[in-house]
Amino acid sequence: MVTETALRAPAEERYSDELAKLAQADDSPRPRGWVLSARAVRRFILGDPKLGVVRKFYGDDPLVDRAIVSLMSNQGLMLVGEPGTAKSMLSELLAAAISNDSALVVQGSAGTTEDHLRYGWNYALLLAEGPSEKALVPSPVLTAMRTGKIVRFEEITRCPPEVQDALISILSEKALAVPELGAEQAVRAVPGFNVIGTANLRDRGVHEMSSALKRRLNFETVHPIADPAHELELVLKQLGERLGPAGVKVDVGADVADILVQTFQDLRSGRTKEGASLTRPEAVMSTAEAVNVLHAAALEAAFLDNGKLTGAHLARQIQGVIIKDEPEDGKRFKAYLDHVVKERSARSGPWRDFYQAARALRLT
Amino acid sequence: MAGLLSGGARAAPDLSCAPNSYMPEDAAILLSDLECDVHIAPIRHHSPACAWHLKAMIAEIGPAAILIEGPDDYDPLIPLLTHAETRPPVAIVSILEGPVRGASYFPFCAHSPEYVALQEGAARGVPVRFIDLPATDKAMREDDSNPLDPIQPLALDEWAFDSSDYVRALADRLGCRDGNEVWDQLFEARIGEADWRRFFGDVGRYCSHMRESTATTTMEADGTVVRETRMVAHLAQARREIKGPILTVVGGFHAPALAEALPRLENVAAPSRGKAERSPYLIRYGYRQLNALTGYGAGLPLPAYYEGLWQTVAAGEAAPFDKLAHRLITDFAAHLRTALLGAWTAVPILVATLENAHRLAELRGRPGPLRDDLIDACHSTFLKGEEAGDASPVMAELVAFLTGSAIGDVPASAGSPPLVEAVRQRARALGFRVDDGERRNRELDIYRKPRHRAASRFLHATVFLETGFAQRTGGPDFRSGVDLDRLIEHWSIMWSPLFEARLIERAADGDTIEEALAAELNRRLAALEAQGMGGNASAAIDLFAAACQAGIAAYAERVLPVIEADIVRDADLASVAAALRDLIGLWRGRAALGFDNSAEIESLVGTTWRRALYLLPDLANAGEDRIAATLDALVVLREATGLADESLRALDPVLFDEAIAALLDTELDPALAGAVAALALLAGRIDDAEFAARLSGELRAAYPEMARRIAWLRGVIAISRELLWRVPELIETADQVLSALDDGGFVELLPHLRMAFAALDPREIDRLAHAIAARHGEDAAALIVRHDLPEAEVAANLRADARVREMLEADGLL
Repeated sequence: MVTETALRAPAEERYSDELAKLAQADDSPRPRGWVLSARAVRRFILGDPKLGVVRKFYGDDPLVDRAIVSLMSNQGLMLVGEPGTAKSMLSELLAAAISNDSALVVQGSAGTTEDHLRYGWNYALLLAEGPSEKALVPSPVLTAMRTGKIVRFEEITRCPPEVQDALISILSEKALAVPELGAEQAVRAVPGFNVIGTANLRDRGVHEMSSALKRRLNFETVHPIADPAHELELVLKQLGERLGPAGVKVDVGADVADILVQTFQDLRSGRTKEGASLTRPEAVMSTAEAVNVLHAAALEAAFLDNGKLTGAHLARQIQGVIIKDEPEDGKRFKAYLDHVVKERSARSGPWRDFYQAARALRLT
Repeated sequence: MAGLLSGGARAAPDLSCAPNSYMPEDAAILLSDLECDVHIAPIRHHSPACAWHLKAMIAEIGPAAILIEGPDDYDPLIPLLTHAETRPPVAIVSILEGPVRGASYFPFCAHSPEYVALQEGAARGVPVRFIDLPATDKAMREDDSNPLDPIQPLALDEWAFDSSDYVRALADRLGCRDGNEVWDQLFEARIGEADWRRFFGDVGRYCSHMRESTATTTMEADGTVVRETRMVAHLAQARREIKGPILTVVGGFHAPALAEALPRLENVAAPSRGKAERSPYLIRYGYRQLNALTGYGAGLPLPAYYEGLWQTVAAGEAAPFDKLAHRLITDFAAHLRTALLGAWTAVPILVATLENAHRLAELRGRPGPLRDDLIDACHSTFLKGEEAGDASPVMAELVAFLTGSAIGDVPASAGSPPLVEAVRQRARALGFRVDDGERRNRELDIYRKPRHRAASRFLHATVFLETGFAQRTGGPDFRSGVDLDRLIEHWSIMWSPLFEARLIERAADGDTIEEALAAELNRRLAALEAQGMGGNASAAIDLFAAACQAGIAAYAERVLPVIEADIVRDADLASVAAALRDLIGLWRGRAALGFDNSAEIESLVGTTWRRALYLLPDLANAGEDRIAATLDALVVLREATGLADESLRALDPVLFDEAIAALLDTELDPALAGAVAALALLAGRIDDAEFAARLSGELRAAYPEMARRIAWLRGVIAISRELLWRVPELIETADQVLSALDDGGFVELLPHLRMAFAALDPREIDRLAHAIAARHGEDAAALIVRHDLPEAEVAANLRADARVREMLEADGLL
């Protein structure tokens, strides 16, 4: 049970109103084990102005259709793409809408073992009473199978391949044997069960996926948001979600937020909106990072300044995103400042603030 | 509006159900005007659903005449379009003249409403007419701004289906990615339904919204308004001439304008007919080309998909979309197995794909999987791993599969110009496939097999005519003398509609390939003469060689006088020598090039030879920048004398030797003097002793710059490296001179020595080293010193090298 004081409530809590409205208005057939129909799930993610459901995922509607349909099939769903492209958010929203439960999560890491995917034991009970249903500690996967829900497997490719492959039999047999409880003992998945994986195939320190596992998953690539207007809308919305509950009052002008989005779009694509090309930084320039920058800048404006966000606040916060582990990125950003931002600063006040403050950063 | 009997309005379509509810009723347009008995079918080009409903509409109305939006100068081609042997895709091509040369296309598929209207009209024996402006009118061109692009589709206003504000807003609300998906969902999905009134009512409504969101100024600027005026004029004329119902098939975008004009039809004058320009032709067309045109907005993309839909519905299948999806996915899997090595097409994947397609259609509220549902389903199940842009081979293959490679056919009588027939016939006779659009490779054994030689001639001819049919990828090149020893020519060949279109453009040139080639030759020749190459014969020789390879060697002889005129005007020994080399190359390849009468070219070689000899005394005036080129020229001339013994009698070596001898006492640049001395020695005009005397004279000469001494040596080596071994004095004297130098002098001379000896190959360098070492009683091998440089020094040198390079680059010297 999540209480009022939780730092971040799961999606089904945050959007409980919307989910209730959608369920009430839902007249399409529901797939077995789903709390909503496929169409209602779609509306939940892509928005429905009539019901007052906001859009939560931008830029690729057909991808959402395909993802929903994949989850209705025997195949699992695999979301891949660059970091910060809202893969995890999409998987959370899907799980919340389909199962009304987005909390069944396996977080993949180098330390993930097969127990995290199958089950573990309460060793005190195991020693005292021997293997029994009571002593069994189910993994989120096992729980999802028993209850017919969606389980999310974050960052699959960070797990060693042999751990990843434990999913193969779960996905194809839809069953998990528990030999300790008896030779015939197996948990059979209830309708509604499926897996959403997320992964980053290009990052450092990730493992290959086996072909056998790939065959059991439908892949969807989530791309960064290409439309600056969409990205601006999303960034402002997420900022509101972060500042609102904390009661922080900041005056965020759309022109100031636009500086941030434009800068991120330019650096991400390696081409400015005027058509000049530039060297892309190695650093991940995702929408999520843009929100982080805007959030930090807004906090600075609220608590250390007069409450009005300016380009200068953005400039001071953007450094942390650009300079992560590649020293060259500082130079690249400086070149961007000198050639692109400077020109824009001659035409617009907020860009001038941004430029002047960014010039003062120690970038190299 | 009295007498209004709007099919769309009377049928009061039930628009409450999704997805058509986005079209408010008040936008209905008039489909049928009973008072003047004119009926309008608003269509989208290449839409099977429109074609299907049009068929039903024609059956019910029973028109006495059918008018179709299409250039009115196409009327004479209607009997051909409806001929029993015509098999779509076909296109009508019009030749555009004036500032923008090229061709415009009006394609027809089996599932094009226009084609269905034509067929129905023919079957009923009622008059069928096209009613748009002639194809050559400038209002019919999509875009004149790019004259480089020869393929111009006719302006068909299709852009509105994809990019008008209305369609974009609709796509947003329906959750569709683009206007085509909106169209599929709203209209293609209704193929096979019974009520054509409701269907066309909705199309009309949809299109009038598109029109409302289009500015009047845009329509005036892009020719829409003048075209519609023309259509109305035709309609008025037809109304006056023909009794009974008239059906007008027009792009939905124009339907509102025509409907509006119906009440005042009586007062509209008949269209004025301009004089007929070049008549259009019916040609075979290909789906690949049709799909390429969709970039310009000429109809629905991926024609093979829509043809499949049309056939499935025409076969009377229930649930056509399900049947089509099933068939396309299994066919695609089969296609993948052959097209893409190692592609995954296991049965479970196909089942999953089909299942996904159905579920997507259900989710999106469609009667069955539509085009985008199929593509999305394949996207989900076939792609494994991260998608990298559009580069996924499986998806690219899917697009190619749904595009199709079918090419239509036109009747033998199809009045394609005789030239096209002649080319087609010869291509078939030589074993080239001209009925599909696959790219093929062909190897031609041009020396041993006459048939292969004929095929090579034919392919060269297509290249000469710039048809884009064939591309030579390897083989002997007579022009540049490269790979002359190769026996086989390699070609890459692909038939495309563009090929025939290019031929049609040239149809006026003549009825046979040879006539067309001759006309093209004359055009290029005239251009050459107008351009005036300033006496350089190289372009004319290129032209002659290309024409010979294309098989008109006898005719190409008319280029020879031009070459000759160029040569006798040419005042530069170097370019005359180059022409000589090229002409000798042609003469050697004469059998393969196909001129039996080699006397002409032999006489030309003679002229060139004499011109070169005439220019030879000018060596004295050769500027410093021409030294290298002039040395090359001397080499060419010397090589040419070697041929005199063969059979090129025009090359008289005696004249050359005399001219060289005359130069011996002329004051020349030292490099040229060295070359002349070497030539004289080789020709026996001076003996070894005199050569040696000249040598030591030059090398010990009192030139202020040391470099000039070595230049003489460079001239000798350029003519004949053999002399280094044949005349021992050469090395001897050089050695003496070099030994006498102090270190500073040697370093100063080093770059020039390098230049002089650069022509030697490694073996010759080695031989030279041995000879010099032997002179000094040393063993050359023992002289090899290994310089072990410390790493730091190498690094420092590399840095210095890089720095110098930077400086040179900065000064623009590199």
